[in-house]
Amino acid sequence: MPDFILTFLKTALHVLIFPGLLFVAIGGLLLAGIDRKVLARMQRRIGPPIVQPFFDFFKLMGKETIIPNAARPAIYKAAPLIGTASLAIMMLFFPLFGHQAAWGSTADLIVILYLMTIPAVAIIVGGSASGSPFAGIGISREMVTMMAYELPLVLVFLAAAKKVGGTSLVFSLDSITAWQQANGCLLFHWAMIPAALALLLVIPAEVGTQPFDVAEAETEICEGPLIEYSGAPLAMYKLNTAMKMFVMTALFTVLFLGGINLGGGVLGWVLGGLLLFAICAVLTILCMTLIHAVTARLKVEHLFKFYWTVVAGLALVSLVLVWFGL
Amino acid sequence: MSYIHYPVISVMGLFLGAFLVEIFGSKNKKVRFGITLVFVTLATVLTYLLIKPVFFDQEIISYWMGGWKPEAGYAIGIGYEIDGLSLFFGLLIVTTFFLSTIYSWRYMEKDHHLGHYYTLFLMLCGAVLGLVFTGDIFNLFIMIEIMTFAAVALTAFRNNREGALEAGFKYLVIGSLGSSFTLAGVAILYLSCHTLNMAQLAALLSEKGLDGLTGFAFALMIAGMGVKSFIVPFHTPAADAYTTAPTSISMVFSGMVNKAGVYGMIRLVYVVFRAMGLSSVQLLLVLFGTVTMFVGVTMALAQHDFKRLLAFHSISQIGYVLTSIGLGTYFGLFGGLFHAMNHTLFKGLLFLTAGAVLYATGTTDLDRLGGLAKRMPRTTAYFLVGAAAISGIPPFNGFASKWMIYQATYEKAVSTGNIAFAFVTVIALLVSVMTLASFIKVTQAVFFGQCPLALTQTKEVPFSMRLPMAILSLLCLAGGIGYNYVMSYVLSPAVHSVSNAVGYVDAMMGSGYATAHKVTMLQSEPAALSVWNPVMWLLLFVVVLTAVTLVALTSEKRRGPVTTGQEQIPDGKYATFFGGEKSEHSHVAGSDLFWGFKKDWKGYFRVAGNLHSGNVNDYAVWTVAATALITLFVMIFIV
Repeated sequence: MPDFILTFLKTALHVLIFPGLLFVAIGGLLLAGIDRKVLARMQRRIGPPIVQPFFDFFKLMGKETIIPNAARPAIYKAAPLIGTASLAIMMLFFPLFGHQAAWGSTADLIVILYLMTIPAVAIIVGGSASGSPFAGIGISREMVTMMAYELPLVLVFLAAAKKVGGTSLVFSLDSITAWQQANGCLLFHWAMIPAALALLLVIPAEVGTQPFDVAEAETEICEGPLIEYSGAPLAMYKLNTAMKMFVMTALFTVLFLGGINLGGGVLGWVLGGLLLFAICAVLTILCMTLIHAVTARLKVEHLFKFYWTVVAGLALVSLVLVWFGL
Repeated sequence: MSYIHYPVISVMGLFLGAFLVEIFGSKNKKVRFGITLVFVTLATVLTYLLIKPVFFDQEIISYWMGGWKPEAGYAIGIGYEIDGLSLFFGLLIVTTFFLSTIYSWRYMEKDHHLGHYYTLFLMLCGAVLGLVFTGDIFNLFIMIEIMTFAAVALTAFRNNREGALEAGFKYLVIGSLGSSFTLAGVAILYLSCHTLNMAQLAALLSEKGLDGLTGFAFALMIAGMGVKSFIVPFHTPAADAYTTAPTSISMVFSGMVNKAGVYGMIRLVYVVFRAMGLSSVQLLLVLFGTVTMFVGVTMALAQHDFKRLLAFHSISQIGYVLTSIGLGTYFGLFGGLFHAMNHTLFKGLLFLTAGAVLYATGTTDLDRLGGLAKRMPRTTAYFLVGAAAISGIPPFNGFASKWMIYQATYEKAVSTGNIAFAFVTVIALLVSVMTLASFIKVTQAVFFGQCPLALTQTKEVPFSMRLPMAILSLLCLAGGIGYNYVMSYVLSPAVHSVSNAVGYVDAMMGSGYATAHKVTMLQSEPAALSVWNPVMWLLLFVVVLTAVTLVALTSEKRRGPVTTGQEQIPDGKYATFFGGEKSEHSHVAGSDLFWGFKKDWKGYFRVAGNLHSGNVNDYAVWTVAATALITLFVMIFIV
């Protein structure tokens, strides 16, 4: 069955190299480096080199892995990998500037929504499996954070679906991109601007940067779920955080700036990849570095309230506006 | 022997078994279990054999007890009628009670008077199976009665345990109210149509339309079915009943007893009362469904007993099913039935893991458990599968059905332009996240974290208890990955028969009867649901599994805070301290999780807690008031 083998090889290539694991990992680590550098400049420090996250990652990979006695080893070690896998394949659902998504047939907002929860669940399960009470507090906060940003996220998705679909059901990212190619980016339809703002505010909570880093809170609960982790699994978690930066900002790009067309062919793909990275870098600085530099960590109950009132309110405004045809 | 006899033999076999167990099985445990197993297996096999004629050949089986066929256009005998919908629920039911029987063998070994247990168990199974197979509405009521009383007795079976009798009493009061409503509905229908056969009722009601009297009957019967399926506000006895009943019975309650109520509602709304406009009743069902899923899950977040938490999740998941079915579209029916099936699988699995924890440790209090993952690794794995499935994590079956439900509700919203349905989608998605949250809580509180000293000697449960869990876990995974096959071979026939009221009437009353009485078909829509691509996911799984295996094979050094060689030795010299607490006291228990969320919602939790007062008088008032509301709704919007 050469057909099957060809499909398998193509899928493996997509999953492992482009636009999957390797692309997201390198892009994510670079974004993390840019984030650290720009943050340092904002705080009048010199900051680490941009490739510092790569050094950190490889250093951690080489360190010894210690598994606590109270932990369940299999789940403890597998959890970060499951998070990495779901982040890597998430990019396969994103149509890149006029190109079809690699897995167009299943590209769907609901699938994305659930795939986005998996990295958080991986942190929670891994932290829980480590048996530490600090991790217990951390996973509790991670879960509350997740409940907090899920409501605005759902409202943003539904608003986009309604804007694009009109009276028919459109949950497919491919259709949303196609619509943007024809009618201009969603960001430039004024009714969707509150939703775009809401999504920009969801990104830092999803990634877990200050002021929304209640779950890891180094100074308070010693990185919560990650407290017992060391070596390679810890490296994978750090990689996951970096990959989340890339995937979340890419999601914003696809959802709100999908109307940009760079032509087909190999050149189109390369340009698309570069442009995607550039936009993601700008978004990272805008919604993560900037906010990080000027705020202090929130309490978890304040975080919850903020997302369910201000951010969800913004998204709701968009949904209602879109609903009445604006 | 022709297959048309199979349904009636299954049902009667189960009742016969109940009597045989009581006569021969009170002394010897092997005899009574043997009798139970024989009749349960018989019913299971015979029901599975019906798949070919009913699902594949699209046949509707009709069977008249004693050969009393309709005379002069009036059905006078009791008829059994099995179409795709009946068989769909029948399959869920037999699977549930078959696995529950296997589980009971070891799980119930420490209890006394097991003869009564198996008698009541078989009565319950026979009643629920009869309920979905019968084509006679009075027979349906009889089955509901047997089901309710067997369920009440089984709820209070472990009457030496705290709260068992109270739970049984609550179930008795509220359940009897529900049965009485059903009986009143049946009586009114007989008064106005002079027949008890559901097929003929459907035809006659189509012909003359709904008037005030039959509308009242509809309201009463919907309320009666609501009580049986434990939708809010009829859910009040469920929490206590699921908690105190033996866990093999909790699984049966959640897997088939409340499915029987759901079946009854579908049958009433889509077939018997086909005459009324679906669009009006759908608001009622969607409203009840949405409230049910929300109240169920928020109450679950506040629980600190494993089984009680699962009970509230059962309520919540039935809300999904009801919402989706209430939409009245093909999307909705597919999603609702699929979720009903998945709920049977994953909730059965979760109850069995709770039972395993209870069997191994003697408690289900989340605040007193912890760290069981190392002592019960297999149970932990099965629990994680069930938790992932109910929270809708891909690629398990709960994801596939919830995905369909979100699409169905939002499709309804955009196609009708009604923003209220969009909020149903939002609530459904939120409820899913909260479900995840509450299962994270159980995972942390029971299986991970620090093990209390009292539980260090806990052992894994025996094979006969693990087997049903393993089967259900596999089915949960298979249902998610082989989603296309489930759609085309199981759900399509069931959905087809829901819409095919004409066929249902004709099979019973002779062909041409339906059209003569103006029975209409549900308008068909193209089922253009987003298709889940299992091949991609299989490939992905190969990749992930390879990666995980590679990591698992790499050599590791195991170290930890305690390096004495043997774990959990209470030796102060080597113990690790967390903030001044010894490790076994520092476990973050279930009640301590989600603090921020609970603080922001404290007003809601206070009100909801006060409303669930535990007083059966209040609950009876709720039940009657809700029935009055349903009646009011029906009178205003439908009649």
